[in-house]
Parts: sequence; structure tokens; C-alpha cells
Amino acid sequence: MKRKLLIPACICLAQLTGYGQEKSGVSFGKVTPEDFKPAVYSIDSNASAVIIADIGSTEIEGNSKGWFSLEHKHYRRTRILNKNGYDAADVTIPLYTNGEGGEEELEVLKATTYNLENGRVVETKLDVKNSLFRDKINKNFVRKKFTFPALKEGSIIEYEYQVKSDFLFNLQPWEFQGAWPCLWSEYKVTIPEFISYVFLLQGYQAPVKERKDTRRSFTVQDNSGVNATSKFTFSAGVSTYRWVMKNVPVLKEESFTSTLRNHISKIEFQLAEYREPLLSERKIKTWEQFTEELLEADDFGAALDEDNYWVSELAGTILHGETGELDKARRIYTFVRDNFTCTGYNDVLLTAPLKNIAKSRKGNVAEINLLLVALLRYAGLSSDPVMLSTRDHGYTYADYPLLDKFNYVIVRTEADEEEYYLDASQPWLGFGKLGYECYNGHARVINPDATPVEFSADSLLEKSLTSAFVTSDDNGNFSGTIQQTPGYYESSRLRSLIKEKGMDHFFAEIKKGFSGDVQLSDNYVDSMNQYDDPVNIRYKFELKTGGGDIIYFNPMLTEGYKENPFKSTTRLYPVEMPYATDETYLLQVEVPGGYEVDELPKETVVKLNENNDGIFEYRISENNGIISLRSRLRISHTFFLPDEYATLREFFDLVMKKHNEQIVFKKKK
Amino acid sequence: MKKAALTFTAVLILVLDAIADNGEYAVSGIPPALLKNADAVLRVEELRFEILSTKEAIQNYHYVITILNDNADKWAEFSEYYDKLREVSSVQGYLYDAAGNQLKKMKMKDLEDISGVEDISLMDDSRVKRHNFYCKNYPYTVEYNVEIRYRHTLFFPAWRPQGGERISVEKSRVTIVCPEDYQFRYKTFHYTGEPVITTENKKRSSAWAVTNMPAITREIYQPPLRDVTTGIIFGPTGFQLGDYKGNMQSWQDFGKFIYALKQGRDALPPNIKSVVHELSDSIRDEKKKIRVLYEYMQKNTRYISIQLGIGGWQPFDANSVATKSYGDCKALSNYMYSILKEAGIRSSYTMVIAGRNANGITEDFPSQQFNHVILFVPMKEDTMWLECTSQTIPAGYLGGFTANRYALAVDETGGTLVRTPKYGLKENLQLKKINAVLGEDAALHVKVQSTYDAMQQDELHMLINGLSREKLKEYLHDQLDFATYDISSFNYEQNKSSLPAIDESLDITVSNYATITGKRIFVVPNILTRLHSKLPADTERKYDIEQGFEYRDIDTVEIEIPKGYGPEAMPQDIATAGKFGKYTCSVRLKDNRLIYYRSFEQYEGRFPAKDYNDMVKFYETVYKADRNKVVLIKNESQLKEN
Repeated sequence: MKRKLLIPACICLAQLTGYGQEKSGVSFGKVTPEDFKPAVYSIDSNASAVIIADIGSTEIEGNSKGWFSLEHKHYRRTRILNKNGYDAADVTIPLYTNGEGGEEELEVLKATTYNLENGRVVETKLDVKNSLFRDKINKNFVRKKFTFPALKEGSIIEYEYQVKSDFLFNLQPWEFQGAWPCLWSEYKVTIPEFISYVFLLQGYQAPVKERKDTRRSFTVQDNSGVNATSKFTFSAGVSTYRWVMKNVPVLKEESFTSTLRNHISKIEFQLAEYREPLLSERKIKTWEQFTEELLEADDFGAALDEDNYWVSELAGTILHGETGELDKARRIYTFVRDNFTCTGYNDVLLTAPLKNIAKSRKGNVAEINLLLVALLRYAGLSSDPVMLSTRDHGYTYADYPLLDKFNYVIVRTEADEEEYYLDASQPWLGFGKLGYECYNGHARVINPDATPVEFSADSLLEKSLTSAFVTSDDNGNFSGTIQQTPGYYESSRLRSLIKEKGMDHFFAEIKKGFSGDVQLSDNYVDSMNQYDDPVNIRYKFELKTGGGDIIYFNPMLTEGYKENPFKSTTRLYPVEMPYATDETYLLQVEVPGGYEVDELPKETVVKLNENNDGIFEYRISENNGIISLRSRLRISHTFFLPDEYATLREFFDLVMKKHNEQIVFKKKK
Repeated sequence: MKKAALTFTAVLILVLDAIADNGEYAVSGIPPALLKNADAVLRVEELRFEILSTKEAIQNYHYVITILNDNADKWAEFSEYYDKLREVSSVQGYLYDAAGNQLKKMKMKDLEDISGVEDISLMDDSRVKRHNFYCKNYPYTVEYNVEIRYRHTLFFPAWRPQGGERISVEKSRVTIVCPEDYQFRYKTFHYTGEPVITTENKKRSSAWAVTNMPAITREIYQPPLRDVTTGIIFGPTGFQLGDYKGNMQSWQDFGKFIYALKQGRDALPPNIKSVVHELSDSIRDEKKKIRVLYEYMQKNTRYISIQLGIGGWQPFDANSVATKSYGDCKALSNYMYSILKEAGIRSSYTMVIAGRNANGITEDFPSQQFNHVILFVPMKEDTMWLECTSQTIPAGYLGGFTANRYALAVDETGGTLVRTPKYGLKENLQLKKINAVLGEDAALHVKVQSTYDAMQQDELHMLINGLSREKLKEYLHDQLDFATYDISSFNYEQNKSSLPAIDESLDITVSNYATITGKRIFVVPNILTRLHSKLPADTERKYDIEQGFEYRDIDTVEIEIPKGYGPEAMPQDIATAGKFGKYTCSVRLKDNRLIYYRSFEQYEGRFPAKDYNDMVKFYETVYKADRNKVVLIKNESQLKEN
């Protein structure tokens, strides 16, 4: 099964009949008592707020700086139904700033609250001067915030603003689907023929689109020169695109989802090309151009091959004359991982020169892993950065080299003719390992060939093995040894748990998992600091049942599924598991002296589906006073469509049921 | 309910121009006793706070801390907030290796500067200066020299060398410097001895110091840090915030200052005045009057936090709340105060420290210790308390957020300490009546009728009023401790009295509730109220035990079992009681029904450390008993075998 990224094929056919020139019928300030009538809206009877109309537009105009600007307008009317919808009255307007004084301008802002009082519509306007706040988040991002006055249950609120932007690449995207259900979502973009953008549309429902072509004139002025103002006027064809979506529901976050960002209905724009009468320039690149530029950029690849004193100095202290390729790679990786702190996991560019990163011992994920590339190359190992998008950041487009679709940088290196992917930003990762968040499909090696690579979740296997050997005495007391090798990611989780809470806490938690009177001893966790491998857990236990005529024994001991990972009864979008799994549990237990087996759980083998995407085996038998149990759960596929959900849920339910069954021993007469 | 930005973390401080020579901070110089149970050692701490005048003060803070391992990395980070009233005017930092050699230094320009606007706040003016050497070669040592300028003297920094567990202190000193004729006040905790006082250039310095404090380790249910380690809190006599002057020698004086901040901010616009009279003039009963007006306020306002400059301390005036329909705890309490005033009812703007687990104020030391404002309405024979930031809480009820603690009620005569109401064992009641049918497929169909009273309903109150039905169902799904189940219906009724109650009815089907193995069924009769956790055993308990929140739970459960099954094993009755609580449970089979009864009481109080093992035993007993299983066996098969 392949995911659909660009969804023309997914268009909801019913909507194709289109709205033609149909309008939302809503405009600023025109609120009547009728508008307060609905107490609930059929789109979502549970909604606390409903967006009546969400309408945006962007146009391109000549400016007075000798170039063009984007003029973005946003109008939204929302009905607040109850207090839980008050959050819809807090508005944040994001503004881009280039860090050199250039900043998008919020030019117009109007906001009004309407309440129905004694059958009359009463307006309260936002006091923009005193109630609009500015909060600077970082060097590229400022937000302006306000909240509506005189808000009550039942209020209608409206705002309208205009942002002027000199940053043509920042043509505002539009989300048709958001935190509140929306009756009418519309976006209109007018693009002149001399500038082109790529449209990126996604979602399981698609908006209706129309296009209209006309001509108009543009005036560009340049007031910045030393000489008199120059001014050009010319005429050009423009195309107006309009997308409309009606009755858009809210998408809910469920477990086993990469990110809702992949699933909501949304359109984005990527600046592609300048054309005549402008100087022709392709702005969207081929993958090869994309990587070439990155490799030459000061904030990415330029410093990678510099033979600087700081690289040689640093490399010298790490390598200590080591010559084997793999040993060199391991040393460098371990050093960077253990001596640098990652301060941001959502970055693809350098914010400071590598030299400073080396000195300050901290950096974002790109900085740390680019430093790793520089060191590996210095040591003579062929290495390249690899750009990817983590699962929670969303899919990337294999067809378009768009920088902001990426959020993460790792390293590909070659040692002793083997290829390894490395990530030194995560302190718990082993050599040649990546976090499962990286397994999100398409990624690119940033080399002159722009080699594509694929990290598929199906290829990642989380494999665990637990074995228990249990002996018993004549009084119904059991003693046993448990050995456990959890999967790699589970091992990482346990390492950090043990580090944070201590070994005693960890075993106390294990002890809690037993039912009955139990004591643990000889507790041991191996490979705590060997991040390349899973941990190994060993302990002994003494379980006292007190004898009696009947002994109930839970053969899974502390293991086994105790709850179904799929809680919701239904699912609207795919299940995306982080990895495939293979979990085996083995038990041998002695029948206590003087007792016989009264009941054993039944054996069973169940397949998840016909494709063999999952299988559960539960085999149990008694032989010469020894009971042997083998439980194995294997899920080899990670992506399931909504219509496979019920099967998946039932399958886990069955596993759980089996894992709860007991063995019953009865005293011999 | 949300709290305002009145909180100020006690911040440390101090002096010393001398920069360490190589070796001074070598790890080898740490006395061995200070390494025991320690992840970090505070080598040197000098906090110097100088009151220049009532308008301004200057805090110099110098500290050197050795980080022994990565658990202590948090202590290596430098972070100070600043706003219009507080400037971080200089910072220098140094990093040393284990041998005490200086590796790096930092200057003011290396500081990160980030927005400090809290999530609950629409806007405030606080920002944060931050720095970190990000060293990972343990052990290492960081040193910082910080100067902070206060443009007020409303509160002073506190001194508490041991800021948490697993940190030991080599030497620490606090010095308060002030003009000779100025008096400041202080209160010590776990400190014996008098300050060293010196006078020079018309300035008086008072210094307190400690050396060689071994690390402490946290114990579950321990008293607050101030009760287990050395500390001093300081407070002004005369002080100033912007143009407002005050005196802090008594709660009454402090109250006068707070009153002055809000004085004259109670004018309501004419339309609100007439609403007040329309709503309340015809009501005789004063309590009812208050309730009607309070509900009006709840319906027409919401909580929005905006804290800018003195606005962090002074409420927006009533008129602006009336037009904007929002405000923070100060603004909304003042608004309600103004509404009651218009109706001829006196009330007091009351400061409190909010939070379910808040440790309360040090009541014998008048100082700014508060972070929230509520309204207190004294009446002839009764009193009423109003939480003005909630739109749903019933009039007169406070809840665990502000109940049972000292608060400062303010009026024109000044401040008075008053105690907020306590909700105890009698009030905090939870009753569950459960009727269930167990199928032969091990599924359990459960009908639950529950009543939650007083503090037992606090969380649920927020959820049912704060979540959509859909989200509430999700919450229930996460909350209930079953493997696979469906909630077929759920309903809540709120009884909004000053002692509120919520009635809940749930209809749940749990697949595989029981375990079936061949001819046997294993079933736990306690379906919904199993104690979540046990306490760790500890033979060397040092600190007293503090158990808050008294309550009582009573469950009555009836489970109809499948036909043809009889008992094979029934759990014994359990009854245990002690100073921590009381518990009984029993289960019987009557016809084809299991009848289970459970009663659990938890008592609040402070108990001596030696009782800890009794506490462990008590909860262990409850934990086990709550999980006891009934084993049922098919009758026919029994017959056959016999």
C-alpha cells in the first residue's frame, strides 16, 4: 500500500459538481439576529465553536522597493457555542521577519464581537491600539496576538486582517481543516504570468477549484536609489484560482499516527519561477541543483571540507592515531554523541559556523551531524549529510526539492566498504542506528547526485525475547529465572527510565507486575551503556502461593498484553505503526510435587489477515511434569487502512485474552 | 481556575570579584562526606542583596557548583527572568574541568534571550536570559556571577542553599545590606545562631552562613523543603512598587498597600449598575443575592491573563472588565467586588497561594507569598467565598485549589489573615453502586451510579465543564483500567450547591473482564476502585510523613454470574484501620450474585517518620485486597469428576 501524497485521485466526487460562482454569503459587519438562531450545527453536534466562514486571498502587487509584494487577506467568522469554544477567540497572526529589519506588516486589523441582547445585535469592537500584543519568538518569527472582547456563549466573532509581505517565497498556505469544524473555507490566489508557484494539495477530502484568467497592469516603483524615483508600469495576464470546501469536519488525533499534518486538507505554495518581463529565473530546483546549492551554502555544506585547524585539532584528540576505518568512524561518532548537546531537533541549517559549534559543544541536529560529517571526512571516510523529515513533521515530496519539508539531518558514511547511517544528536543511539522517527519514507543524501534513499517503517524490526525457567516445591512455591532481551527501542526507553529512576525502581515495577506474594533477587541489567545493542535483563523470583488444594498460575508471569493498544472503536485515517514487531515468550514450569494439571489454556494460531501481516502463536503442552509454553506475536506490516482497523483491534483483543489465561494445578488425591 | 503571574521563584544571589585561580575548584577539594548521595555540590554561594532605597535594590549572586554526573545537569544551566521591574544587568560565567582548570568563559552577549510568556497568559512582559556550557565531561564545575536590579522592594530574594535533593553545600552565605536607618525582617528555618552584623559607610550588613551540608534524598510524602533544610526568608518594612508605597511590618499594613493598589478601580459603567439592581434588588436573602450576581459575573466574563509591568500586581479597573468581559484573577475579583458593592454587599479582595498541593504561606511572616486572588464575603452569621476565575464553580465553593489555608483578606482598614474553608472526611465522599452481569464469554456489562462530593468532584468538575462530550469520552477511555471496552453511555448531573456534588451514570461493556480457563472463571469483584500503587518500603525513613486530602470511598457491587457456576475460591474479608486510614472489604455469593462491599478512608495529617512502615503495610494490604479474585467453577464438571 502506498500513501497518496498529492491527492487528485482522492477527490471526494460528490463535491466535484462544484459551487461555481457560489459565494459564502458572509461579509464583515453583516450580522443579523437570524445568525444567532442555530443552537447546534449539523456538521458536528458536539462542537463548542463553529467557523461559519474562513476566507482568504493572496495577490501579488508591485511595490515601491523595485519589486513585488504579497498581499494576504484573511477574514473569519466564528460562532462560539459554549465556554469550551472560547479558545477560538484567541487569535495569533504569525509574521515572518528576516532578522535584518525586514518584517511582514500587519496593515489592517478589525475584530468585532456580536451578541444578541433583547433581540438586538450588539457590537463590541476590539481596541486594537491597546489590546494587540507582539511577542517575538525567534529571529524569523514574530506573533501578534489578541483576544475578542465581550465574549459570551453564543457570541459571533469576526476578524479581518491584511498582511503585506516582501517575501515572495512566503505565499501563505491555507488549511481547510483545523481545530474547529468549518462550514465554508475558501482561498483565492491571484498569480501573474511572470511568477509561478507549484501548488501542493493534500488531504482525504479535496476542495473544489476554479480558475479565471484576465489581464491587468502592474506598477513597480523604486524609491531606494540615490537618484530620482524610477517607476515602471506594464500589463500582464493573471490567473485567479479559487478553492472552496464546505462542511469540513475536525480530524482527531489517534494513537499510531505519524502526524495529523499528513492527513488534513491543506494547500501550500512553492515559488517556482520568474518569467518575462522579469529576468527569467527558475526558483524551484532540480534535486541536483538543490543539493549543489546546499553544499555551497555557508549555512550548510561550505565548511565541510575546510581543512581548518579546529578540525584537525579536534580530530586529533579523538582519533589518537587510530587507523582502521570502522574504528575511526566509531570513535568519532561516539565522541560527538557523548560530548555535544542537541538543543533543537527541527533544523536543517547551521545557525552558527561549525567552528563555533565545535567550541560551544551544543547545536541543533543539523549542526551536530554536519560537524560529524566534517570530522569523518577529515579522517578520510567518505561521508555525506542526509536530509529527511521525521514522522511527526510529515511526509516529504520525492518530486519537489522543498527545503521546508525537511526538518532533520543525519549522516551516511562508508567504513570498510559498508554503509552506515548515523545520528549523533540523540545521546541514547548506537552506532549505525536511527530513531524510529526517522523512518518516514523518502530522504535525500546531500551529495552532487542527490541520491534518494528510502527509510521504510516496515524495514525496521523491533524484536524481543523473554524466557522463564520455573521450578516448584511440594508446598506450591515457585522459583524461577527470567531472561529478557527487549527490542532496541524498548531498550532505549528502559535505559533512560533506569537512569532517571534507578535500578531499584525498575525492579520494583517488575515486581508489581506479578500477582501474588513474590520476592525478586539477583537483579541484573546488562548492556546499560552499550547503545549499539539491546539491554539484557535477568532476575530470579520466588513466588509463594501458599499451597492449598488448588493453585492458579499465570503462565505469562509479568509479560503479555494487558490492554489493547487500539482503544477507539473506529478509525478515519490509516494506522501508522513505527516499526514491525516480533515478540517471543518462552516458559518452562515444573508441575508442583503432589499436584497435577487440572487445566491448561488451549493452543491457538491466529493470522491477522490473508496477507500474513501478523500472526499470533500460542503453544502449550505438558510432558513428564514439565509444562512448556511458547507465545509469539509477529506484526510485519506497519501501515493499515481504516477499513482494516476493526480486524486489527480484534486481533489484539484475542492476544490479550489468551495472555490472561491461567494454568490450574490440583492436589493429587 | 488559573493563577495569576504573581509567583516569584525565590532567587538566589551574590558577590565576590575574585575569579578563581586554577585549581581552586578542583573536585579533589570536596570533603568526602559531601559526595555521599550527591549529584552536585554547591562549592561556594554568596547571595548579597542591597536595599539602596525603597525604590530600588541590587542583588549580586555568585555561585560555583560542581556537577558530578548527568543527573545534575539541570543545576548547570543559568536562567533568570526579567521584566520591567527586574533587570538582569550583568552575568559572567566560567567553566572548569575536574582539576579546576578554567576551560571556558562567557559574557553577557553569549546569553540566550527567550520569551517568557507562559502558556496560560495571553501576554506578559517577562523574558528569560539563559546560558549553558553544555559540558558533558563529568565531573565539571560552573561558576556564575550575576547582578540583578530590582526597581521595587515589594519582595526580597529568599536564601535556601539546598535547592533540592541530591545536592550538598560546601559553603553558602547570604548578606543583606541596607541603609543604617532601614529595618528589614527575616525568618529562619533550620538555622541556629545570630547573623553577623557590621556597619560601614552608613550601611548595615547582616550575614548568615552555612558550611558542609550533606546532600538530602527525597522521601515520598515528605514535608516541604522549607521544613527539612536550612533557609531564610526576608521581607521589607517600608517598600515601594512604582508610585505606590507601603509597609510590611504586619499583615494589616501589607493589606493597606494592596488596598491602595486597587482603590478607586471599582467604578462600574451605568449599564452594569442597572443590571446589578435589576437582578438583585428584589432578592431578600443575602446569600441568594450573592449567588445570582456571582452567576451573572461568571456568565459574562472569562479568564484571560495579561501581566504587564505594575499590571502584574494591580487589577484592571472594573470598567474595563465590564467592556472587555475578561480579566485575570485580580481583575475579576475586583469586578465581582464592585458588583457586590453596587448591591450594597461588603466583600474583601483576598490574596492566597493557590494550588492543590501548595504548601501554604508562612503565616507569622508578613510578606508577598501569594499568587492568586479570590473574594471573601463576610456576612452576619456566615461567610461566603467566591473563586472569580471560574465560570462554572458553584457560588461559595472553593475546591482543593484554595481550600483549607491562610489567606489575606484586604479592605480599607488593611489586611487580616483568614482561613479558607476545609473540606474533610465527611464532605469528600465518593459513593459507587455497581450492577454488573458477567457473561459466559467473560464479558462484563456494568452499570455504575456514582456520586462525588466536594473535593472528590474537583477534577471531574473541570473535565465535564471543560471538555466536549467527545473529549470526555476519550478521557474516560484513558482513565478506566480495562483492557478492551466500550462506553455505551455516560451522563453527569451537577448539583451546584456550596458543597457541590456530581452524579455520574456509566454504562460500560468490558470484553474479557474475567479470565476463563476451561471450566473456571476468575473474576475480580472490585471493578472500578482498585488502589493504583503501593509505597516503596524504606527502613531508614528520616522525615515526617505528610498526607493531605481526607476522603472516603464506599462501593457496593453486585455481579450476576453465568448460570451453572459455583464458587471454588472466595477471598477472605479484610478489615484494617490505623492512623493513615481505614479499609474493609467483603465478598459473598448469594444465589447467582456476587455481593462485594468496600469502604476506604484516607486521613490527613503529619505523622512521625517511625510510622512509615505501618503506612506501607496499610496500603499494601489495600492494594492486594483490591485485586483479590473469586474463582468460579462449572457445576457439571465438578459433579462429573466427583
